[in-house]
Amino acid sequence: MIRRLVLVVLGLIWLGPTYLLLVNASRPADAYDPASAWVPSGDFALFQNFSTALERADLAQSLASTALYSVVSPLLGVLIGAMAGYTIVVLRLRFGFLWFMLIFGGTIFPSQMLLVPLFIGYSDAGLYDDRFGMLLLYTAINVPLAAFVLRNFYSGVAFSIFEAARMDGASTFRIFFRIYLPLSMSALAAVFILEFTFIWNDLIFGLVLTQSEGVRPVMVALNGLITDVYAGTPVPVGLAAGLMVSLPTVALFLATQRLFARGLSLGSV
Amino acid sequence: MRTAPILGRFRGGYVAPAVLLVAGLLYAPFLWTAYLSLTAYDGLADPEFVGLRNFTRLFDDPALLTSTRNTLIWVVGTMVLPVGLGLLVAVLSYDIKGGAWFRVPFMLPYALSGAGLGMVWSPILSHDGIANLLLGTDTAYMQEAPHNTIAMLLVWTWQQLGVNTLLFVVGLQSIPKAPIEAARLDGASGWSLFRHVIWPLMRPLTAVVVGLALVAGLKTFDIVWAMTQGGPGRNSETLAVMMYRETFVATKYGYGSAVAVLLTVVAGLASWLYLRRQVNG
Repeated sequence: MIRRLVLVVLGLIWLGPTYLLLVNASRPADAYDPASAWVPSGDFALFQNFSTALERADLAQSLASTALYSVVSPLLGVLIGAMAGYTIVVLRLRFGFLWFMLIFGGTIFPSQMLLVPLFIGYSDAGLYDDRFGMLLLYTAINVPLAAFVLRNFYSGVAFSIFEAARMDGASTFRIFFRIYLPLSMSALAAVFILEFTFIWNDLIFGLVLTQSEGVRPVMVALNGLITDVYAGTPVPVGLAAGLMVSLPTVALFLATQRLFARGLSLGSV
Repeated sequence: MRTAPILGRFRGGYVAPAVLLVAGLLYAPFLWTAYLSLTAYDGLADPEFVGLRNFTRLFDDPALLTSTRNTLIWVVGTMVLPVGLGLLVAVLSYDIKGGAWFRVPFMLPYALSGAGLGMVWSPILSHDGIANLLLGTDTAYMQEAPHNTIAMLLVWTWQQLGVNTLLFVVGLQSIPKAPIEAARLDGASGWSLFRHVIWPLMRPLTAVVVGLALVAGLKTFDIVWAMTQGGPGRNSETLAVMMYRETFVATKYGYGSAVAVLLTVVAGLASWLYLRRQVNG
C-alpha cells in the first residue's frame, strides 16, 4: 500500500508541470496570467496557438527542414552502416575488425570537438546554412551506431544463406539488398528511431551551422522563441510550440514501441 | 570468363561510404580542433601557432572555475537524482498490478527536448512566474548561482526520470526470480529485501545507467543554453556552454578549441576511471 502511495504522490508532482503545459498551451494567447495558471481556461485555443506559432517563428519552414533531416539522414546512415556491417561480417573484409573500430570510434567524439572545423570548413565549402550540408553531417553522425548494431545482427545470421544465394548466382550487392537488408528490418527500424529522435532534438549543430529560417532545424527556431517570450511572444503560443515540436517523436515511439523493443533485443547479441 | 570469387571483388567499395563519412566529418574535425587549440585564430587570418598558451590562459580564467563547478554539479546531480529516483520508481512499481500505469506520469516529460524544456519551465521559474506565486516566495531561481544550475538540474530530473525508470524496470523484470522468492520465504521484505537481494542483482545495470549519466552530465549544453544561455553574467555556464560562447560569441576559435580539448580530456579520463572502478569491483 505504501508503495502505491509513494508512487501516486511522486506521480502527481511529476504531472504538475505537464498539466501546466497542457492547460496553458490551450489558453487563448492573451489570457495568460501566472497567478491563475492552474485554472483551465474556458476557451480551448490550442490549435489557434499552434497556427500562431507556425507563423510567428516560421516554425513551419523549420519543421519541414527538420522532418527532411531526421528522415533522410537516418535512412542513409542506416543503409550505409548496414552495408559496412555486411561487408565486414559477411563478406569478411580483410582487417574487418580494424575498419569496424575505425567506424565505430566515430561515436566517442564530443560534439564540441567538431564544431569549429565544421563551421569553418562548411563556410569555405559553401555548405554553411545549407540543407545538403546538414544532411551530410547528420548522416555521418548516424553511421557508427548503425554499423555497430548491424554488424552484431549480421554475425548472428547463418553464413549458409549467403553461400546458397551465391551458388544461385546472385551478386553480393543483390544478396545484401534482397536478403540481408529485409532480414534485419527490425534492427534497422530500432536504429532509425533512435537516430530520428537524436536529429529531431538536435540543437547544437543547428545553432552552429545554420542561420536562415529555411534551413535551421526546429529546435533552433524554438530556442529563438524562448528568448522571444520576454520580447512579445505570448506564453501560451510558446508552450503550444514546445508541445507541437515534441509530438512527432512521441507519435513515432508510440507507433513503433513493440518493433523497437524487439529490434533492440535482436541487435544486442 | 573467370567466375567472381565467392566473397565478391567489390568489398572495399561497400565500406567506403561509411569510412569516408566518418573520416571526413568526425575524425578530421576532431584532429583539426586538437590542432586549433594550440593556435590563436579568429577565423579571418590564418591560425597562428602559440603552443600551450591557450591552456595556460584557460587555467587562469575565472570563467573556467565557474563552469567547472557547474559541470561538477551537473555530473554529480545527474548521477544521483534521475538515476536514484528512477531506481526508486522502478523498484516500487515493477511487480505491482497496473505498475505501467503508475509510471505514465514519469514517461510524459521524456518527449520534451532541451529546447522544449526551456520553453515549458521558463514561465514557471521566472521571477514573476508560477513557482513563486504558488509557493508564496520571492526567489530569483534563475538569477543566482548555484541556484539556477540546481533549478535546471531539477528540471532535467523531471525529464530524465522516466527513461531511467524504464531501463530499471526492464532490468528488474529480467533478474532471476528464485533468489527473491527464497528471500521472501525467509521473511525478507521491504528495505532488507531490496538491500540484500535486489540491489546486488541490479548493480551491473545501475553501473551502466550511472556511466551514461556521467558522460551526459559532463556534456550538458542544450538545457542550459535554452534556459539561461549560461547567464546571467556567465554564472550558470557549463564547460560545453563555455566552449560555445568563447568560440561562437567571442569568435576566439583557438581558445574555444582549447576548452573543447579540455572537455574531451576530462570526459575521457572520467569514463576511464569509472570503467576501471567498475571492472575492478
